[in-house]
Amino acid sequence: MARDSAIPPESFEEILAWLNPNRDVAAAMYVQLRQDLARMFIWGRCADPEGMTDEAFDRVAKKVHAVRPTYEGDPRLYFRAVANNLIKENHKKIKTQLSIDDIDLPEPPITETEDEAAADIEECLQLCLQKLSPNKRELIISYYAKEKQAKIDHRNELAQKFGITVETLRVRVFRLRESLAECIERCLKRKRK
Amino acid sequence: MKEEILTDAVLREFLLGKVNDEDGARIESLFLTDPEAREKVLVIEQELIEDYLEDSLNAEDCEKFLLRYGQTPAQLQQLRISKAIKEWAVRENASLAVPGGTSIFQRLRAGLWMRPVFVVPIAVAVIIVTVFVGDWLNVRMKHAAIQQELAQLNTLASLREVPPQLVSMELRPIAVRSLERVSEFKKSADVQTVELRLPWIQKEHYPTYQAEIRRVSGDESFIIPNLPAKTDSLTTIRLRLPTRILSRGQYQIRLSGIDSGGALGLTEEYAFMVDG
Repeated sequence: MARDSAIPPESFEEILAWLNPNRDVAAAMYVQLRQDLARMFIWGRCADPEGMTDEAFDRVAKKVHAVRPTYEGDPRLYFRAVANNLIKENHKKIKTQLSIDDIDLPEPPITETEDEAAADIEECLQLCLQKLSPNKRELIISYYAKEKQAKIDHRNELAQKFGITVETLRVRVFRLRESLAECIERCLKRKRK
Repeated sequence: MKEEILTDAVLREFLLGKVNDEDGARIESLFLTDPEAREKVLVIEQELIEDYLEDSLNAEDCEKFLLRYGQTPAQLQQLRISKAIKEWAVRENASLAVPGGTSIFQRLRAGLWMRPVFVVPIAVAVIIVTVFVGDWLNVRMKHAAIQQELAQLNTLASLREVPPQLVSMELRPIAVRSLERVSEFKKSADVQTVELRLPWIQKEHYPTYQAEIRRVSGDESFIIPNLPAKTDSLTTIRLRLPTRILSRGQYQIRLSGIDSGGALGLTEEYAFMVDG
């Protein structure tokens, strides 16, 4: 279950200072690091990536004062090491635990039906699409025009048409799609409140 | 060094949990500290999700994918969102591809047909086409015969009868691909017809439905129109198929509602495996 992280303010400030001397930059790095660690927990097949991310930050917070002065290298790699230990512990726990009461269960499933979920997403998608410029909408439409094998040739042609490499096209569509998905998620959150 | 490990192929393996610990650690470290590497990993992750939604992953990868991306409600929501965006784009594409424009062939014909230099190549092409047209016609006729047989097998009158050597199987819609395995049908000599029961979970209901069935990785599809729905507590559409037209592999069914004006309505998708 995701829980509120209980990092004391002084440890939080020390983590920010460790990430970057500029507080604004550090704050942005902190937010991204949270997202990235949550992704690592997904790759590590953990049932509660958000809760595990909180736990990782809690553990770093407890040690940051002692570790920071002597640690060499990018501090995000220290977080990675902590996250990896947590993943290992999690796997061990699942293997050895006998009682389901002791397992950290993921959030209970959303109670809405599949139909309702699809309808909500569709509604939010339409709202978010309105915020995109016609050019961006067209780019997504063209990018997803073909499926399976045909899409490779199609995307090469599309990149040529725009005068960019396929790599650049992929990244451009990725960013666009990410912002669209984030908009949909925010919209869904508002709807469920 | 960095480029070596950040290839599409290695990153796909990594995201499916198929790389060794050492490579995994290198990729994770780059993911956390190098913005370019991070974006690359996320692009590949998005493409992996796309492949999953297109049913392009093999069974092993599909299982590994679901263990990572189909476990929690939040992950399922992510998949639903990806699916919705993709489906919207496909719908928009379909509506943009309206008939009536000048086709490539028409433009070519207008530009080339009257020039003498093209007469010989065109004549050669005509001969080649003539040679192949016989085979093509055979294939088309066979296809039309199966199409007709399917239509006959699925009329209201035929569906009221229960022929011998029929087995029935319920498929679940791929609203968002659930964690369940794809239903499997084992072919055997004593089963001649399989009846697929397709629950319709959309809110909209229609007077009739149309099913399009095709084998994944095949390019032939059959359309069965005018399927009636059976409504008890749940609307179900039955689709009967002669087992001899099925071969080993995965099949996909697109079921669409047909409104009273004959226009296609909402669509639901189903999948099943044929073995034996």
